[in-house]
Amino acid sequence: MALVEAARAPASAKPESWSWTDTFQQYPALWLLALFLLILPAFASNFVLIELFGWAMILGMIALSLMFLAGYGGMVSLVQMTVAGCAGYMIAIFGTSVMTDISLGWPWWVGVPLAIVIAVIFGTLSGVLSVRTEGIYTIMITLAIASAFYYFTLQNYTIFNGFSGFNAVRTPQAFGVEWRSPVPFYYLILFWTVVSYLAVVYVSRTPFGLALQGTRDNSRRMAALGFNVTAHRVAAYAFAALIAAIAGVLLVWHGGQISPGTAGVGPVIDILIIAVVGGLSRPIGAFIGAIIYVILRTFALDALVMVGLDGKRFQLLIGVGFLLIVLFSPDGILGLWARWRARYARGNARDGRA
Amino acid sequence: MSHFIGRHPIWSLVIVIGIAILLFLIFAVWPPELEQVLGRKRIFLSALLNGITLGGLYFLVASGFTLIFGLMRNVNLAHGSLYLFGGYFGYEVANGTGSWVFALVATFVVVALLGIVLQFTIFRWMEGQDLRQTLVTIAISLILADLMLWRWGGDFYQVPMPAWLGGPVEVPLVTAVRSSGELVYLSYPLVRLVILLGAVVIGVLMWLALNRTKIGMLVRAGVDDRDMLSATGIRVQLLFLLVFAFGAGLAGFTGVVGGTFQSLQQGEDIKILLASLVVVIVGGMGSITGAAVGAVLIGLADQFGTVYMPTYAVVLTFVIMVVVLALRPQGLMRGN
Amino acid sequence: MAVSLSVAERLSAVGTANALELRGVTRMFGALAALTDITLTVRPGERRAVLGSNGAGKTTLFNCITGDFPSTSGTIRFFGEDVTHFPPHERIRRGLRRTYQISALFTGLSVVDNVYLACCGVSRGRFSLIRPRRDDQLVQAAENLVQAVHLTDVKDQLVAQLSHGQQRQLEIALALAGAPRFILFDEPAAGLSPTERAELIEILTGLPPHIGYIVIEHDMDVALRVVESVTMMHNGRIFKEGRPEEIESDPEVQELYLGGGHG
Repeated sequence: MALVEAARAPASAKPESWSWTDTFQQYPALWLLALFLLILPAFASNFVLIELFGWAMILGMIALSLMFLAGYGGMVSLVQMTVAGCAGYMIAIFGTSVMTDISLGWPWWVGVPLAIVIAVIFGTLSGVLSVRTEGIYTIMITLAIASAFYYFTLQNYTIFNGFSGFNAVRTPQAFGVEWRSPVPFYYLILFWTVVSYLAVVYVSRTPFGLALQGTRDNSRRMAALGFNVTAHRVAAYAFAALIAAIAGVLLVWHGGQISPGTAGVGPVIDILIIAVVGGLSRPIGAFIGAIIYVILRTFALDALVMVGLDGKRFQLLIGVGFLLIVLFSPDGILGLWARWRARYARGNARDGRA
Repeated sequence: MSHFIGRHPIWSLVIVIGIAILLFLIFAVWPPELEQVLGRKRIFLSALLNGITLGGLYFLVASGFTLIFGLMRNVNLAHGSLYLFGGYFGYEVANGTGSWVFALVATFVVVALLGIVLQFTIFRWMEGQDLRQTLVTIAISLILADLMLWRWGGDFYQVPMPAWLGGPVEVPLVTAVRSSGELVYLSYPLVRLVILLGAVVIGVLMWLALNRTKIGMLVRAGVDDRDMLSATGIRVQLLFLLVFAFGAGLAGFTGVVGGTFQSLQQGEDIKILLASLVVVIVGGMGSITGAAVGAVLIGLADQFGTVYMPTYAVVLTFVIMVVVLALRPQGLMRGN
Repeated sequence: MAVSLSVAERLSAVGTANALELRGVTRMFGALAALTDITLTVRPGERRAVLGSNGAGKTTLFNCITGDFPSTSGTIRFFGEDVTHFPPHERIRRGLRRTYQISALFTGLSVVDNVYLACCGVSRGRFSLIRPRRDDQLVQAAENLVQAVHLTDVKDQLVAQLSHGQQRQLEIALALAGAPRFILFDEPAAGLSPTERAELIEILTGLPPHIGYIVIEHDMDVALRVVESVTMMHNGRIFKEGRPEEIESDPEVQELYLGGGHG
């Protein structure tokens, strides 16, 4: 599986070090990025805050959960977007929405944890179904589970309100803050993005994370070292589901609505594209892919029209772009960047940094 | 089979009883009490035959999919797009030439050629990189889907059926008894029966090709053990080309078939792909028999679900898939 | 799936039991009998070689003992415990270890990470979400083991960057992690240079006496110098057992194995 092989750092790289602050020493650009994101509300419009960066961070979190399973675990799971959708639906059902006969109107401190727990259970069970077969089946099985969820939410009206889904899902007001106003909501998203990113980076060097990478590289050897490979993989699904569930809560609050199409086959594949284009080898890849996707989505219409093409051919653009990436840089943007750095370093006859 | 009965006596008994009940339901005249519980026999028989013929359609698509995976480890997620493209292309040809049969043949050839191009220019260079190949098929399906949307839009299309296939035919199954004592037989669309017959014939031919010809033997050997295949010295890439071409052509061909008794529209590619996924998950990857068993099972589940549990018909098929995954993850027809 | 014995049962087993006891083990692949009726007894601390031509079933034997492939029939006892139906990781946690003919390493991780995983596999805290500190017990054990196989210089390198010989050394290190009681070495000398072979012999003979092992080898020089008993296999069956000198001079063995097409 070359893409998963590409997830292992290229030959010139050093392995990630024991101390996780070293990650920030290795990549000072991350500090700049963090600073930039922190002060962004000072000069950016609400649109940029919420529809560009906020949306990108939410999609990035879901793609991060996919990256965790695929990059560290060797399991390409297409069910992560579905887990997020499940959490979103639960928020709509437990909280308030326009569907007053279904939504229970419970307070957020009951609804949110409950939604996350249910979504994590769903993600874990999907993992249980997917981990006992060879790697390449995972993508098929998770795609089938994702479509099962889509069709179920489409057809069920008693709980999921079928085709229309839920509108007017309100983000709660808490601690005196109206959380859906642009600046607080932006910081809420930013907070959870940073937490999930750091969690993934940290966990990658724990016994659990290392064991997961071991099962990616050689699951048979892991068993021969005393590991219960199936248990580790299912646990990985649970951890990834947690991240996707949190993103799902933010997702439904972001759009104020959820419907079967939110987690349909299209969005499910989009998350895969985001993760792969960004690069599966490091967690930041998920967010790189996400911001590219969001920018394309936002501006492609105008760009296409400018070039004389029908603005509706956005999917064609995505498809061609994705094809090019998979053909020429299967390790995504991160791979391109790593290769460019290596060439730049060689060209300058300096010792390559990492 | 005796081996199976020996090792699973209880399951064998369950299956035998199930078949006996099924045969009774099909061939006997239903007493009024039974009709009160299950509804009218005509509806049951229609659902049964619809399920089997739908299963025939699914088999045709899924068998190509499972062959391509079994031999080349390529999860071809563009298979649904090949189906839909074949359907649209066949529609144009049938309308242009007026011949349904010619449309079938031409579509098979054209989509097979498309398959050859894809295998030769792209997949050949990704030998052994299963995931990468799959991602490429996703990209191709996105591109094809949008191109097809561009050309044919979101309307419904139906491939014009030749006159000799039209109309109902009487099937020798009794649905009811008139008060005069006269037996009423089931009236069923001829085209669906012909398609079912076609699927069976093609299935048998495929089985014969796989089990009685040299190429078939090589394909089966390759499915079991790819390294062994390269050790035989035959031109492996040529074999892959042939198999991919056949699988693709079959998908396109089935698109025309599906477009005849169902319809074609945007989104059908995803639906047929998902159906294929479920069929091969249930039946077992790389197994033609598995594709047949899975297809009939899923077709029946789909139709019976639509008739008797309309809200949850689709869920039934996925429940079957989940049960199989939980109990026998390698599929029904594959060994451990 | 795992059957846990009480402490008393385990203690009593360790004292008197054989390290490894195979009775009537058969492994079929469809209609092909890879192993037929294997009966084998190895005492704790015993060092044995399993020899035979290609296809004799040696690696299949190992796979059955570790549980990589379940045996079709027969029983396997490890230090008195019936492990026939245990999954591999349960057998490993009882002190069994194994190396592979083709190094089975974690190519995306560093050398010390590989060994650290081996140490984790048989101890508690495998699912720990806390990063270990520098002075953590298992980290120290891993570093010591890396030193023991002379790989300290490259300990932070990715495995993919190691030479073949270094990879084979790492392969051995993985089997020595934790507290092994019995190790299966599958062709440990494959592809090694003469110096590396000498080092290998040193490592094997230098193992603590309570650790028994079985070595599969094609290289008779290495094999016969590190073991005290030999089992010859042919066509999935055991056809002779004895001491190294006996086997070496046995005419049947010479004809079948040494003379007849052994690579």
